[in-house]
Amino acid sequence: MHGEYKTPGGKLVRVDFDVVDEHLTDVVVSGDFFLYPEEALEAITQSLFGVSSTASESALAGRIGAAIPAGTEWLGSSPEALAIAVRRALTPESEVNA
Amino acid sequence: MSDEISPVPIEEQEKRWKSYDWKLIPAVAQRPLINMALDEVLTVRVGRGDRPPTIRIWGWANRCIVLGRFQSVKNEVDELAAQENGVEIVRRISGGGAMFIEPEGAITYSIYAPEEMVKGLSFSESYAFFDGWVVESLRSLGVDAWYAPLNDIASSGGKIGGAAQARRGGAVLHHTTMAYQMNVPLMLSVLRIGKEKLSDKGITSADKRVGPLRQQTEMPREEIIDHIVGTFQDKYGLTVGGITAEEMADAEALVESRFGTRKWIYFLP
Repeated sequence: MHGEYKTPGGKLVRVDFDVVDEHLTDVVVSGDFFLYPEEALEAITQSLFGVSSTASESALAGRIGAAIPAGTEWLGSSPEALAIAVRRALTPESEVNA
Repeated sequence: MSDEISPVPIEEQEKRWKSYDWKLIPAVAQRPLINMALDEVLTVRVGRGDRPPTIRIWGWANRCIVLGRFQSVKNEVDELAAQENGVEIVRRISGGGAMFIEPEGAITYSIYAPEEMVKGLSFSESYAFFDGWVVESLRSLGVDAWYAPLNDIASSGGKIGGAAQARRGGAVLHHTTMAYQMNVPLMLSVLRIGKEKLSDKGITSADKRVGPLRQQTEMPREEIIDHIVGTFQDKYGLTVGGITAEEMADAEALVESRFGTRKWIYFLP
């Protein structure tokens, strides 16, 4: 599954994953954002492994935000933006367009 | 949050630029992988004090796509089209977006500076800080250019370029690529530019948003490069240097161990 979200005036975050037994696995987070230090991507990505596919946007954002090490600078994107991308990936097109 | 720190006054910013003996590395055509590795090597050396603060003008030996540090290959590149058109895929050390590069189509430079130079500036402010002299230089050529946060050089004729930064052991790497001439059909065949990326730009087509410098100045690429280098020299002082044999050997070694490996290029598949 694939979802993406561009923060207005900021950058694009993309997420690819599979859902097994209603939980996220094989998560890859990518995009044209900036992240210092670079290793923080691992923590961000890991925070989504095993998450329920029914988790709300705010629950996702909270979980992602809590996993980001102190002192990390994420420019152009955010836990909230990634949470939107995840929800978009999980929402069928018909509902998005409705 | 760094946004709450009061901005460093312009006079203080100018003083910081003038407080170093800047070295210029003029353009020499290099393999894309060597260009990636040189940014790492030169940033680390400036951080260690082994080399003075430096500006490098890039030269390109061949066509390539330069992916940002956090981009996935399959999301950004049509790999088959890239292969068919002899477009190499490389990954740089800084974040930001993919660039399609043809040797005569882009103007790229790197600034390697001590981290103390951006003390008190937020990350966002530091982008505008490092490209301010280039915007000024373009304006003196009659291009209606300005800095568009976070990391773009924009103009009334369209986007001109984008910057990215990385930080390593006490040094900042700031590099910027500006479009000189665009091969739009080839770019669109090798890069995947989705609708979502353009969603807040108010436009529908990727080629309409770029304003290459050839179109805006009608000047040869080398003259534009000479002009922006001249602007830097006049404002802050600059002496011509070059890459040392040892630095080049380090870059070659890093291509072997890191930048040329599948593990690095396909870090995010």
